[in-house]
Amino acid sequence: MNTPVDYVPFQARIESIVEETVDVKTFRLVFCDPAVAESFSFRPGQFGLYSVFGAGEATFCIASSPTRKRYIECSVNKAGRVTTELHQCNTGDVIGFRGPYGNWFPLDEMAGKNLLFVGGGIGLAPLRSVIWNVVDWRDRFARVTILYGARSVGDLVYKSELTAWQEMDSLNTVYTVDPGGETPGWAGKVGFVPAVLEEMKPSPANTVVITCGPPIMIKFVLASLGKLGFSLDAAYTTLENRMKCGIGKCGRCNVGPLYVCKDGPVFRCDQLRALPQEY
Amino acid sequence: MSDVIAKDDLLRLVDQWLAEGKRVLGPVKAGDGVILYAPLAASSQLVLEGFVHAANSIKEAVFPRSETIYTYKFNGHEIELSDVDPDSTQCIVIGARPCDAASLPVLDHLFNWDYKDKFYNARRAATTVVTVACSEYDDNCFCTSVGLGPAAEQGSDAMLLKAPDGWYEVRAVTDKGTALFNGKTTPAPEIKVPISDGPAKKFDTVDIETFLKNNYESDAWRDITMRCLGCGACAYNCPTCHCFDIVDEGDAAGGRRVKNWDSCQFGQFTVHASGHNPRAVQAQRQRQRIQHKFRIYPEKFGAILCTGCGTCTRNCPVSLGVLNTLEAIAAVARGSIEVK
Repeated sequence: MNTPVDYVPFQARIESIVEETVDVKTFRLVFCDPAVAESFSFRPGQFGLYSVFGAGEATFCIASSPTRKRYIECSVNKAGRVTTELHQCNTGDVIGFRGPYGNWFPLDEMAGKNLLFVGGGIGLAPLRSVIWNVVDWRDRFARVTILYGARSVGDLVYKSELTAWQEMDSLNTVYTVDPGGETPGWAGKVGFVPAVLEEMKPSPANTVVITCGPPIMIKFVLASLGKLGFSLDAAYTTLENRMKCGIGKCGRCNVGPLYVCKDGPVFRCDQLRALPQEY
Repeated sequence: MSDVIAKDDLLRLVDQWLAEGKRVLGPVKAGDGVILYAPLAASSQLVLEGFVHAANSIKEAVFPRSETIYTYKFNGHEIELSDVDPDSTQCIVIGARPCDAASLPVLDHLFNWDYKDKFYNARRAATTVVTVACSEYDDNCFCTSVGLGPAAEQGSDAMLLKAPDGWYEVRAVTDKGTALFNGKTTPAPEIKVPISDGPAKKFDTVDIETFLKNNYESDAWRDITMRCLGCGACAYNCPTCHCFDIVDEGDAAGGRRVKNWDSCQFGQFTVHASGHNPRAVQAQRQRQRIQHKFRIYPEKFGAILCTGCGTCTRNCPVSLGVLNTLEAIAAVARGSIEVK
């Protein structure tokens, strides 16, 4: 197991930074210790605690694919103390990483099935890890569809990758922005993600849904899936409650009896339905 | 067969521990007559007799309020991280009440499932707990309702029972306790200290757990906990509450990463960076505390996260605490309080 012990993170150097939107940046990190870089592995959906020394730690998913070795990536929305400091960092700076923690999307169980990704805003980050993993293992899955939306064209993350996925024959992509968020050159759809999903009329047969986005979007996506005949046990999502330790001790990420850091962050939607609304 | 020690000899033994450089923690009178578990400078400070219920708990011996978990130093673009060795100074807690000691085996589960917390475990291994069985209790005590009692031995390494004429019966519970009193006691076959029944049982934990499972969204939470101020005094002084925060303290040259006590009763405890807060109101935070203690923790670890010490109620500025909340819950469950 390559997880650090005793709360002390691995050191990782920022190799490159991509500005995704005005307040989201993607950082590519390479572990400073070659032995860690060599042995580090994770599964799509797992998360870590990222340290900016002097500011503290914050929790994000690993947004890159486990099939792409040598580095990990995280996409960070500038919102609080740690993320603001992280946005000040430059390439070459060293930050800390503890992880990987938590469970993952069970890709093994999804072999042979159609995959439908439904993402909203920066909620595409955990899906991106799975999507690139699926692209690299493309022959293991049937039809793969990505529905992604954001408030506006400017809020779409991973713009160059959206184009790359669109150009791949093996992926079906539908991109949308909320009404009023379109630009004159916008070639995608205009409409909220759940509405576009219903318009697409995906067949529930042999299909697994992987969704992540703002809580309100997930709520309506689940309702739309219900209308389309999907069963909740065929849909997965990932939660990100506030965490400090990431290892089931600090006592704040639980949703009812389940700890997001240990029992999640990935939940099947029928599991989620049974939980109190504390996320 | 009982082993006994005279009170004077016991106090001399405490001074001997201090002289040996051990950390000794026990109930002392702080300002305003408040009794606190605090490090002793001399055995004369120790308050052993009467109704001794410290306002804080002995968890500080194994899980301090603030603990450095590592340090960092900036060196140009590089960063130097240094491990911090856990504090393993030998520590003796003397005069703890059984309800305080009982928290330790309960906390062991949390700090040792999956990932083992080296800081907690080092302190735990270096700590010997000598309890005094209770002969008095107050209205806030409810150890008997959570399966404990005035002489419950869970978490004690040795237990003292007050015998007549300035003697204490010494019961060694663990090897640590045996070693601590080895050669210090006298056999006294005639002494057998009776044990009090303790407070009457005030609720049934099975009923409570059933209510908690079936009434997550009940308006009873709002009604019962309306007066909670969210001060966190209950959690900070609770022997079993263990939530913590991790923060950096430092300057441009470097600093330390610190684990600090935290409380689920604080409004900021679960707030997301987006501003969204899964537990936005105080009733949800109170519900979390009670659910955690009487349902989530028992489901996960098979132990109730409460020892019935009553410290939360004694410290609560609005007379809430676990006992009053559970009594209200029991009344709602019976139907004798109507939820509006």
